[in-house]
Amino acid sequence: MRVLVAVKRVVDYAVKVRVRPDKTAVELQNVKMSMNPFCENAMEEAVRLKEAKLATEIVAVSVGPKQAQETLRTALAMGADRGVHIVTDMRADQELQPLAVAKLLRTVVDEVKPDLVLMGKQAIDGDNCQTGPMLAGLLGWPQATFAAKLEVADSKKEVTVERETDTGTQKLQMGLPAVVTADLRLNAPRYATLPNIMKAKKKPIATRDAAAAGVDLAPRNKVTNVTDPPPRAAGAVVESVDDLVAKLKADGLV
Amino acid sequence: MQLRNMVRAFVQSDVDPQALQFNRQKFNRQLFRKCGELGLLGVTAQEQHGGSGMDAAAAVIVHEELAASDPAFCLSYLAHSMLFVNNLAQNGSEAQRARFLPAACSGDAVCGMGMSEPGSGTDVLGMSTTAVAAPGDSGSGSGSGGGGYVLNGSKMWITNGTVDGRDTGDAFLVYARTGRGPRDISTFIVERGMAGFSLGTKVEDKCGMRASMTAELVFEDVRVPRENLVGEEGGALLSMVKNLEIERLALGAISLGIARRCIDIMNKYSMERVAFGKPISSYGQVQRHIAESYAEYMAGRAYTYSIAANLDLTTHGCGLDTDAVKLYTATMGKNVADRAMQVLGGNGYVGDYQVERLWRDAKLMEIGGGTLEAHHKNIVRDLRRLQVLP
Ligand SMILES: Cc1cc2nc3c(=O)[nH]c(=O)nc-3n(C[C@H](O)[C@H](O)[C@H](O)COP(=O)(O)OP(=O)(O)OC[C@H]3O[C@@H](n4cnc5c(N)ncnc54)[C@H](O)[C@@H]3O)c2cc1C
Repeated sequence: MRVLVAVKRVVDYAVKVRVRPDKTAVELQNVKMSMNPFCENAMEEAVRLKEAKLATEIVAVSVGPKQAQETLRTALAMGADRGVHIVTDMRADQELQPLAVAKLLRTVVDEVKPDLVLMGKQAIDGDNCQTGPMLAGLLGWPQATFAAKLEVADSKKEVTVERETDTGTQKLQMGLPAVVTADLRLNAPRYATLPNIMKAKKKPIATRDAAAAGVDLAPRNKVTNVTDPPPRAAGAVVESVDDLVAKLKADGLV
Repeated sequence: MQLRNMVRAFVQSDVDPQALQFNRQKFNRQLFRKCGELGLLGVTAQEQHGGSGMDAAAAVIVHEELAASDPAFCLSYLAHSMLFVNNLAQNGSEAQRARFLPAACSGDAVCGMGMSEPGSGTDVLGMSTTAVAAPGDSGSGSGSGGGGYVLNGSKMWITNGTVDGRDTGDAFLVYARTGRGPRDISTFIVERGMAGFSLGTKVEDKCGMRASMTAELVFEDVRVPRENLVGEEGGALLSMVKNLEIERLALGAISLGIARRCIDIMNKYSMERVAFGKPISSYGQVQRHIAESYAEYMAGRAYTYSIAANLDLTTHGCGLDTDAVKLYTATMGKNVADRAMQVLGGNGYVGDYQVERLWRDAKLMEIGGGTLEAHHKNIVRDLRRLQVLP
């Protein structure tokens, strides 16, 4: 079984983002970038499948600028066997949109022919939650989003996915190939060990130009203005629970 | 970059939360094992012996990142990974590496190095621990020491000398005199449990670096087999010099980690703390503390990494600059910690804000692995030879 894992380079989760002075976007210059946390979960799950001898090969793919190579190297150090880098200088947080990424990923799926595509449920920059479902739609494959548990049948023809929803846990069973997007609860991603970081340097990464993929990359919506959220108003301390309830009622909040 | 990110993430999740607690307690054995799993303990050791096969720059990165959170744990890490593991990886025989490195790289064994003695520190060649060739058990024909050696003396200030306060650490590279000449010094691997090898005085109540255990090691007629002699008899000086270079860079990296953390803390605090109606970061005197700290940290960082990039672990030749890196960064780290304490006022003087601990830890780099004065002496000796700077 071959697994394709999509990994995205985003602003590190711990960075406090700043809006650029021209208000067109958030600042990316001199900002720490890392692998999207949900993509780490997807990557970790793929490695576990390989350790369990269910997967035989893991291919990591990233769409992004030159530096997305570093993200791929991280995936290789975690355990991917090879990488595919689709290079574009479009801003991956607003200009390069989910539909375009899904179309680019479809070209990689056509080439790599995976039995399972693992992705993050969303990227923490755009927070769109769309790329996985769109890819499944384009491919006509079954999909499970927000996966909290993944089991591959011994036949390697089927997966069972537990997904977390607002109303409870849903269990889905589907045939392969399929697209599964990972939630944080799926697993705890490992740290790449030093020997694996060294080995990753020697693993191959194939690069392709996004513009040459024969895919319409044009954004479907345009960001006109980016602003800071309003500053948080000062809080108030109440004496008791009764006071709290009374105040919430008075403010029309409950 | 990848290495730094990995170590930083590991430090944030696993090292930082325990730093203050173990400052009051002792060495964190479990954390040490985790470092082994990640491949940090054998960062520069050969891969076939359980190491990670990385270079000096990688070792410096690991030290800076660990020290930004817990300099004391990092000191124990240094004594193990640089003074024992790297030293043996560079100077040991293939058989010695195969025997000792796997357990040391995995974290099963905690090791260290013994150079200093109660009676000699800076004056290394004044050491008095002796190793005398034991009466040969057979005519091996290899000259003295065919039957092994008998060690007598003691080593002081040994990091990881004990781990649990009861017994010695697992294995040590010990320097001892094997002849009458001042340079007749050899290196031996002394293992826990060898008859006559015991734990001496435990060093309690250190100013800082409290999560790192320091102790005296005592040798009373310790019979050390010949296969535990590292390199040639009388050949210790060369390996000592080689290993001192990476030791000094690694100690410098601890100062870098301390400085960076202190700058982060004082920068953040100065924006949040309001006095006379304004954040204290708006006052010139506070700005000077922060700005000078940053500039000095960056200068030390640039110097350390530029030397690390050129340091070949298999040989020596960076003596002048590794002395100078440590001379500069040690005092830089101490000064930055002091300024951070000043910026934090009363909060700087107590444990919760980390600065108090980092301030105590920072001083060690002006003493351990060569005092400032030893660096002065070495630098001027080398400059005399050089006469004109390149
Ligand atoms: C926490 C800690 C951990 C340590 N870990 C280890 C370890 O793992 N292994 C190990 O071998 N050692 C270790 N050491 C020992 C350390 O390397 C020595 O303390 C250091 O080299 C200084 O030696 P000393 O303490 O004997 O001081 P001394 O050499 O006695 O120096 C005392 C003072 O005299 C000055 N001085 C000495 N000679 C001269 C001179 N020629 N010119 C000018 N001034 C001079 C010194 O600079 C210093 O100010 C550790 C020390 C500490 C505190």
